[in-house]
Amino acid sequence: MHLLPLLALFSLPLARAASDDAAHQKLVALAAASGGLIKLDAATYDLLTTPNRDWSASIQFTALDSRRRCSPCKEFDPSWSAVAKAWSKAPAVHRDTHFFATLDFDDAQTVFQKLGLQSAPVVHIHPATEGPRATGKTGVSKYDFSQGFDAEPLAQALSNHTPIRIPYSPPFDWARWTTAGAGLLTFAVLLRFIAPILQSRWTWAISTILVSLVMNSGYMFTRIRNSPWMGGDGSWIAGGFQNQFGQEVQVIAIVYGTLGFAFTMLIMVIPYQATAHRQRFQIYLWSTIIMLVYSILIVLFKLKNRGYPFRLLL
Amino acid sequence: MPTAFPLPSDLSPATVTNTASLLRIVALALISGAAIASRLFAVINFESIIHEFDPWFNYRATRVLAAKGFYEFWNWFDPTAWYPLGRVVGGTVYPGLMATSGVIYNFLHALNLPVDIRNICVMLAPGFSALTAWATYMFTKEMKDESAGLLAAAFIGIVPGYISRSVAGSYDNEAIAIFLLMFTFYCWIKALKLGSALFGTLAAVFYFYMVAAWGGYVFITNMIPLHGLVLILMGRFTSRLYVAYSSWYVIGTLSSMQVPFVGFQPVSTSEHMAALGVFGLLQIVAFVQLVRSHVSSKQFQDLLFVVLVTAGLVGFAAFIGLTYKGAIAPWTGRFYSLWDTGYAKKHIPIIASVSEHQPTAWPSFFMDLQFLIFLFPAGVILCFHQLRDEHVFVIIYAVMASYFAGVMVRLMLTLTPVVCVASAVAFSTLLDTYVDAAEPDDAEAPADSATPSESGAAAKKTKKAAAATPSSSGSALSDLVAAAVPNKKKGIYGLDTRFAIIVNAIGMLAFFVFHCTWATSSAYSSPSVVLASQNPDGSQHIIDDFREAYYWLRQNTPETAVVMSWWDYGYQIAGMADRPTLVDNNTWNNTHIATVGKAMSSSEEVAYPILRKHDVDYVLVIFGGLLGYSGDDINKFLWMVRIAQGVWPEEIQEPNYFTPQGEYRVDEHASPAMKNSLMYKMSYYRFSELFGGGPSTDRVRNQQIPKVGPTLDYLDEAYTTDNWIVRIYQVRSEDLLGRDLKSANAFAQGKKRKRSKPMSRRRPIV
Repeated sequence: MHLLPLLALFSLPLARAASDDAAHQKLVALAAASGGLIKLDAATYDLLTTPNRDWSASIQFTALDSRRRCSPCKEFDPSWSAVAKAWSKAPAVHRDTHFFATLDFDDAQTVFQKLGLQSAPVVHIHPATEGPRATGKTGVSKYDFSQGFDAEPLAQALSNHTPIRIPYSPPFDWARWTTAGAGLLTFAVLLRFIAPILQSRWTWAISTILVSLVMNSGYMFTRIRNSPWMGGDGSWIAGGFQNQFGQEVQVIAIVYGTLGFAFTMLIMVIPYQATAHRQRFQIYLWSTIIMLVYSILIVLFKLKNRGYPFRLLL
Repeated sequence: MPTAFPLPSDLSPATVTNTASLLRIVALALISGAAIASRLFAVINFESIIHEFDPWFNYRATRVLAAKGFYEFWNWFDPTAWYPLGRVVGGTVYPGLMATSGVIYNFLHALNLPVDIRNICVMLAPGFSALTAWATYMFTKEMKDESAGLLAAAFIGIVPGYISRSVAGSYDNEAIAIFLLMFTFYCWIKALKLGSALFGTLAAVFYFYMVAAWGGYVFITNMIPLHGLVLILMGRFTSRLYVAYSSWYVIGTLSSMQVPFVGFQPVSTSEHMAALGVFGLLQIVAFVQLVRSHVSSKQFQDLLFVVLVTAGLVGFAAFIGLTYKGAIAPWTGRFYSLWDTGYAKKHIPIIASVSEHQPTAWPSFFMDLQFLIFLFPAGVILCFHQLRDEHVFVIIYAVMASYFAGVMVRLMLTLTPVVCVASAVAFSTLLDTYVDAAEPDDAEAPADSATPSESGAAAKKTKKAAAATPSSSGSALSDLVAAAVPNKKKGIYGLDTRFAIIVNAIGMLAFFVFHCTWATSSAYSSPSVVLASQNPDGSQHIIDDFREAYYWLRQNTPETAVVMSWWDYGYQIAGMADRPTLVDNNTWNNTHIATVGKAMSSSEEVAYPILRKHDVDYVLVIFGGLLGYSGDDINKFLWMVRIAQGVWPEEIQEPNYFTPQGEYRVDEHASPAMKNSLMYKMSYYRFSELFGGGPSTDRVRNQQIPKVGPTLDYLDEAYTTDNWIVRIYQVRSEDLLGRDLKSANAFAQGKKRKRSKPMSRRRPIV
């Protein structure tokens, strides 16, 4: 009478091993069926993250349905699929010890609730807890999106958790190279016709001036920091000395350009005026423009640097 | 000749020339005086003290050089830096700055002037700024004339963009480098103009001095070849270019390789390959020119052309191949991150973390250059108008420096000279035009004489166009075209117009002076070692916590005590406290810095073995929460986490230091990793006691710190300065009984050890 439970107790490890193996087989089959990326629901999620597993898994939590309006999810999904696909090309011995999976919010809301996930996309990495690949760590680690949604850093980060490096290589960018080649070809063909323009010093002068105006207006700042075009509340000028919006680049470049142009007029054009009264009119006109625009510039600068003690007309 | 106002006619030309040159000398002397004087705010407001971080190392090295001589300095191995690795200082510094101070020091002592080495270091940058003004004068003189040169010298003398790096006490490489930059460029322009090997050699000598003084010499290494290349492409190859470039390149490269820190880089890294390539190209072009002048056969010339193009392509392919094979090192990270701006943040967070490597927003441009920034395009247009060889140089310089200054705040320094030069050219042309007394004939008034006006440099252009008849009708467009093709008489009618422009111009200059004085005194003259605040009655209150802490270390700790801090403070600790440090501002070993970052960002239990393994005796943190000093370690903390994460991605993860909502908080909602980190604990240890039970507010983050503050088991508070800016902790040694310090502490406080689980009576089966 007591024998039966005891027997069951003894056979437990065996049975568990057997069930693990079955689970693993099932996961391998699932992965193979869908090109290396398992599409999870609540049941398969539990199967994949069962506490004693000799495989590891990385899971993307996402919400791709258009009702959910998760644009980052859509942005990230191709990278995830590409990396998963790259992993499916790995040798089978290693491939079957790490699984890529995707869990959509609409397939398993309960899992999202259970994990307390408020946002998507999220990537969880479950290490192996048993078998040769167990590291002693059982906790879930998260992928850090600080390097954006690109596939390359993702593959690199996940390679720390897979038995071998994920054989990911970025796809050949046909569009870019074709455009570059076509551009070069067009340039070569048109060279005869645009040569006079290219050889004119004023073409180069205009492009030089444009480059320096744009650079001096903080264009590189907005590029590097990914500044928004304008503020969320509709303001176009950002507060703070070390900050600026995309729109400010244009405004400031136009202000500098106007002032520089006014000085160029005063220096290079007005002295050649033929009649005195026209020259006088232009001198006063451009001087007024300089004073006014300069005052506006000071006002803008005072907005950025509150402590600035000087002002002109305005 | 009609004039707008009467001119004295009884002056001999010699008198005019002599007076003008006397006035120029007086003006230059006054400009030098103004340049030096405006940099003394820091000395007057505070004291004669070395500023910031890097200057402290330079000062320390200079002291070694002055005390022990040059050879000792050359072989100096500093065992106290980068403990326990040490640093070969002689081979890892640009010695130009220290050598300059050493020479001045020895010179003054030879004259029996016992000047303190510190005062030489403090005053070196203002002194060299006067030389920079002179070099800029010489450079601009080559662009236009002496009056433009004087304006440019005055501009660069007081412009905040240059003052920001050269106030008294800012004893850094840039202090002398800008003078060397401008003077090398001047010699180059002169060599190019004259085809003079002498000036080419002078350029090379000053280039060598620049290489010995500042890592930014790469800018010259690429600017001069670029200028040469553009001139070749414009079809302006001359033997003058050949002589100037060849003499500069050969002598400059050979001498630059004598600097140990540079070594064989000029022939083995990509930064220097442009110079080598243009050198080769020049030889090829010169050879073609030579052959062409001797051989008449058309076919042979064609063949020669093909052969040379092939040679060029093969050379380029060889360069690519060698880079690929690793014989030529690719661009270094610092240089590469200028082109691929996302590179540094991804791969070298140490470089990205430095505040002077951040991109520049437009207010900085205006703050540093004021009205020069919009005169600058007008000056560039004028350069295009004349487009002599030297103007091409200014144009290239303008484009390159604009880009670099936009990418990195620090490179504003290289933009400043060209902005001063170009705006001085524009401004002096404006003044020339409107001061000139000559008045052209009004086309509407009956003309009786058609003599063209020509006096002064500005009117030279009109010489050849004297016969042209002015058209009285036309639109603005035709005016522009007329300006591009100078075939018209030039001049200003009337006195009121002249008066309006001149008053306007003087007003702008005056405003510029006020702006520069304000910017210098308020923004760029803080030593950052000593802080200033204002008492309620408006008087100045000096906050001297840094020196207080460093001198405490100096007086109260054994000389071998190792101090750990974030790398920003390494040089200051070495310079002022004279104690070994783990990491300092010479960020050559990323792993070592990441180790410190890991210790700071992990819990006490994890950090303690790291501290013990590195023999750390004291840990120093900067905490601004009490005073509202925003440059403290908690604000830099995320960089420590990031840098540590770069090396140990498994153990340190940046998201763990944010709340689940993604906020960076230090109050009771702070994430557990944050609250347990050594940095957090050391910063806020006993902070709430200060408020006597009231709400304790961090005045930088504006957050309430929990009343029950963090406890420390492995460290003891050793010293906290007056305003709590610097806090020093002593690392405890291991418990004598072999317990871990946490339970030893608990035992000492009379707490019973808590058992994690009630002991079970029966052992489980299996």
